[in-house]
Amino acid sequence: MLFEFVSDFELSLAKGDTMFVSRSMTRNVITVDKEKNIFDAQELMAKHRIRHLPVVDPDNRLIGIITDRDIRSALPYNFFRDTPSDEEKARFCSLKVMDVMSSNPIAISASHTIQDALLLIQDSKVGALPVVDDNNKVTGIISVRDLLRAFINVLGIGEPGTLLCVLVEEKVGQLKKIVDAITEENISFGSVLVARYWDKNKRAVFPYLLTQNVVHIKKKLEKLGYELLDPMQWYIDQLPQHERSENPEE
Amino acid sequence: MNRTGFLYDDRYQMHRVGNYHPEVPDRLPAVYKGIADAGLLSRLTLIKAQLPDMKWIELVHDKNYIQRFEAACGCGNTIFDSPDNQMCSVTYETALLAVGGILEAVRRVMEGQLDNAFCAIRPPGHHAEVDKAMGFCYFNNIAIAARYIQKEWGIERIGIVDFDVHHGNGTQHIFEEDPSVFYYSIHEHPSFAYPGTGREFEHGKNLGHGFTKNSPVLPGRGDIEYKLLMAKDLFPAFDQFKPEVILVSAGFDAHIDDEMSNIKLSTEGFSWIAEKIMEMAKKYSKGRLISVLEGGYSLRRLPELARNHIQILLER
Repeated sequence: MLFEFVSDFELSLAKGDTMFVSRSMTRNVITVDKEKNIFDAQELMAKHRIRHLPVVDPDNRLIGIITDRDIRSALPYNFFRDTPSDEEKARFCSLKVMDVMSSNPIAISASHTIQDALLLIQDSKVGALPVVDDNNKVTGIISVRDLLRAFINVLGIGEPGTLLCVLVEEKVGQLKKIVDAITEENISFGSVLVARYWDKNKRAVFPYLLTQNVVHIKKKLEKLGYELLDPMQWYIDQLPQHERSENPEE
Repeated sequence: MNRTGFLYDDRYQMHRVGNYHPEVPDRLPAVYKGIADAGLLSRLTLIKAQLPDMKWIELVHDKNYIQRFEAACGCGNTIFDSPDNQMCSVTYETALLAVGGILEAVRRVMEGQLDNAFCAIRPPGHHAEVDKAMGFCYFNNIAIAARYIQKEWGIERIGIVDFDVHHGNGTQHIFEEDPSVFYYSIHEHPSFAYPGTGREFEHGKNLGHGFTKNSPVLPGRGDIEYKLLMAKDLFPAFDQFKPEVILVSAGFDAHIDDEMSNIKLSTEGFSWIAEKIMEMAKKYSKGRLISVLEGGYSLRRLPELARNHIQILLER
């Protein structure tokens, strides 16, 4: 199922720059020098509880990225299982950040959108993207964790509310009617998501409404001719077949 | 037979809400009718509404919030904090009377005049936060009762069971860092229902870690799931915690005929829950149990649900 943002009309879905990397990235980014040894880098990660360090030159220009996995891969597999002795550590101390980092890392600009960041992270299979300015200087980092936070915000699920599911035919103006009907009832939106390809020629619209009182709006939407999907129905469809058959009454 | 108190007062109908709002005054006469028609009134001790000492409310809510609520009500506002919370000129007074009535019921149980009590009050309370009205709730009745019992009666451990179909976010937040109050809630899964909290991984914070327990139920699962989850999540927890008093946030909105949820609990399912809570009260809290109405919006089903609930309080 593909969730897509409603962008074709004004909703209070996103305030101004919420949808940009600049808003969601971590600004006080921890970086590391390429000449440091890998244990220094690892200590930095442990201290700040992070897994990615952009590697920069003295002018703060991005030259690489090092992850905790890069470091582990450079060491014998059981290195950290037994606390390594100083002697053993010394053997690997000559390994520098520049020896194990990825050069030419994939980076993104602060003016890109979080959708860009999501697609780029998915496409490049990395856990974080350094954020750079026009001079390739590091201004931040955006990780999967940052994107999760951004999406929780966009979904509005940090605020109390109720989720509805409305099935609509795939034709122009449907969404507007639904939004108008809800707005007339003085109900605020947390978010609206649309799932395409729900059914042939149908889409499922999921308004997340910031209210406990949805009985009346549900009836109103039904009166307008929309089919409201029972939440039970949409999660049962997701259950594995054997679990479904265990509940024949459903 | 137990000595059971029944808090009921016509003044709880004074709080009026606007059109298309489910938390209507008629809910209370429906509760009363069910109990009266079953001939139970003569076996119950009737308790009337009264105003509380404000110091008990201030144990839970910010003074500032209480003043804000009083002022909003006095100015003739019809909405407080969110369109969900509709009100009239006497909503504040009704909310005070609810708290006062409940504290009176608690007093009688704690003094040993009664074994237990059911409080049919409005407005409900479990969504109300320290400084915010939410989900039809203004004062967190059950939280105030818990603090009152601890402060006035020197009780250490209070167990709260919340079976309203919505998660009691207010109650959870008030006690989430407090190991002396165990909050258990079973409710419709927060991805499908208001208020969007009460997930399995919310289990208390800091010192209170392990003293909050949530059982979210997926839509449509009904009786079987409630029995499984309460047996798994609540009974062992209370067996370890051993509450000295049990408080119940009794919401009847998980019923199959209640439009506010999709849980599909049967009338018998509610009786099973009440019986199990009574068993725990006998076992751990010398029978001391105070049950307070929260949600429940089916005017057709409220009579039987309230009747069964109070009958179990009387007879088990």
